[in-house]
Amino acid sequence: MANNSGAAEKEAHLAHHFVDSEQQFEASKLGMWVFLVTEILFFGGLFVAYIVYRSWHPDLFEQAAMTLDTTLGAVNTGVLIVSSLTIVLAVRAAQINDQRQQLIMLGSTIALAITFMVVKYFEYASKFEAGMLPAGLYTYEGIEHELAPVFYSIYYMLTGLHGIHVIIGIGLISWLMVNAAKGTYHSGYFTPIEIVALYWHLVDIIWIFLFPLLYLIE
Amino acid sequence: MSLHHVLPLKTMIGTAVALFVLTILTVAVYYIDFPDPLNTIVALGIATVKAALVCMFFMGLYWDTKFNTLVLLSSLLFFLIMIGIILLDTLFRDAPFQIYG
Repeated sequence: MANNSGAAEKEAHLAHHFVDSEQQFEASKLGMWVFLVTEILFFGGLFVAYIVYRSWHPDLFEQAAMTLDTTLGAVNTGVLIVSSLTIVLAVRAAQINDQRQQLIMLGSTIALAITFMVVKYFEYASKFEAGMLPAGLYTYEGIEHELAPVFYSIYYMLTGLHGIHVIIGIGLISWLMVNAAKGTYHSGYFTPIEIVALYWHLVDIIWIFLFPLLYLIE
Repeated sequence: MSLHHVLPLKTMIGTAVALFVLTILTVAVYYIDFPDPLNTIVALGIATVKAALVCMFFMGLYWDTKFNTLVLLSSLLFFLIMIGIILLDTLFRDAPFQIYG
């Protein structure tokens, strides 16, 4: 497209060191994928802790998983899947220059993210009340295993770090909404929505693994 | 996807539906009793298929330059190296043979 358009047509969002919008978009996306790799390895360290302790104490994980609410976990899985769909539709709305739909889809994504955190809040609150706290704070007596606090340490680190990512996502998507309301994004430039969407999908993928690994152990 | 490739609406909705079906399947499988290691393998298998669907269609790797897929797969490779080497230690600490004299 940009082949025969001269310098006069250079768009405002295009940085001078890129040949055209296409190249700038691909470069941003590659940068985001490299960041996502670091994120996967960041969570990877915690998954390693999970795998090592589960291989050492399979009975502990089986017992402790019973204390987690499968229904709430499944509901949150569904909430994140729908939020992944809404943010990808926000990208699509930018591609077809539909500003209203951009705002609706970004808004729905935020609403779903908040729903996820509210469900998480109720889950945490009931765990706290029962004394299922990490490490030295653990006071629950329903699990007969001396390393029960270790399971909850791993549980809170994994779901907590994931929750922090959800909160950061809410912030990023709010920022997108402010810009979308100003009409910043259109079919020639929607890199920020695409990049944040990639981040949001990764948050979804992490939960896709956390759900069976924490809630569905038999 | 490139800058000028508009995401197909049907594919996006289809992906979401597939993810829902697979989530229901994960929960259903939880109530079926497979012999021991199979439970975890089936659950992780379904999760991997779901993650692949998200990567291919929601994250657009299916339409993208293959280099981005390579970047993603490199993270999995390094994760496998990390967990592989660690398990070689932690799984064999009580082994009946003495490796280190």
